[in-house]
Amino acid sequence: MNDEHVQEQEVVDILFFDIGHSLYGTDASQVLRIDRSLPEDITLPGLGLPLRGHRAIVFDTPEGEGHLKVDAVHAVRSIPLNSLRRMPPTAGAAPYAVGVYLEEARAVLLIDLVETARTQGTQGRH
Amino acid sequence: MAPDRAVAAQARPEQEFFCFRVGDLRLGVPSENVLEVLRAGLLTPLPRTPSFIMGVTGHRGEVLPVVDLLRFLSKGEARIGPRTRLFVGITGSYVAGVVADTVLGLRRIPVSEILPPPLGGDAAAEHLLGVVHGSGNQDAINLLNFSKLLQTARQRAVAR
Repeated sequence: MNDEHVQEQEVVDILFFDIGHSLYGTDASQVLRIDRSLPEDITLPGLGLPLRGHRAIVFDTPEGEGHLKVDAVHAVRSIPLNSLRRMPPTAGAAPYAVGVYLEEARAVLLIDLVETARTQGTQGRH
Repeated sequence: MAPDRAVAAQARPEQEFFCFRVGDLRLGVPSENVLEVLRAGLLTPLPRTPSFIMGVTGHRGEVLPVVDLLRFLSKGEARIGPRTRLFVGITGSYVAGVVADTVLGLRRIPVSEILPPPLGGDAAAEHLLGVVHGSGNQDAINLLNFSKLLQTARQRAVAR
């Protein structure tokens, strides 16, 4: 196992997106595609309401495709695993808030897309 | 001088508190529960947390939940401004940032001057070690049982 291979194992691809004025990240391997949103797509008050919400992140769930309404989708970036942190136990955040990406002092919330669908109780469209 | 001071301390035991002001409250936390003080930086709000968790911030490569004591004690709501500070509080394995409007500093308080929390007080009284009075009522400092407070905060957070 050479150094290059080790480095390859130590990153994860994160897709960054905006809802309202907040930046979030999610494991890019959960994402199937970016689509136009429909009114019934998932919005979670805990993540803030989209300003326009013209886009939806489409992801796979055991019940079918899920669609989370977002305002903007940024690039997929390869993030070192050692920049990711679990949610502190004292925080007691929603189950879809699985951790944090630390970009210096800025903490970007990492979202489990499948959990957003479970929380909403719907996939977003049928 | 040092031996005299040691003798005096034995005769009149003291406890050191980190004292600060938030809103209209003057509070103290045992200094062993305080790691450091920093400027309140970027806060990331968290979904569906109790209202007293203002969010998280990154500090020294770790994620720090930020606690609003005013909300926790049902005494109002803290506001983050350019002069706001966070102190990093610790008890056991739990670490949190706590909002402070003004840092009053470390004070060594004679144990004999610490009065018990008021009986029949509000819910905040259960998290007090006691109260120490200054020259006037405005100078009173409520001394927090920080270990109990942080454990209660965690219980309230996970019980949701």
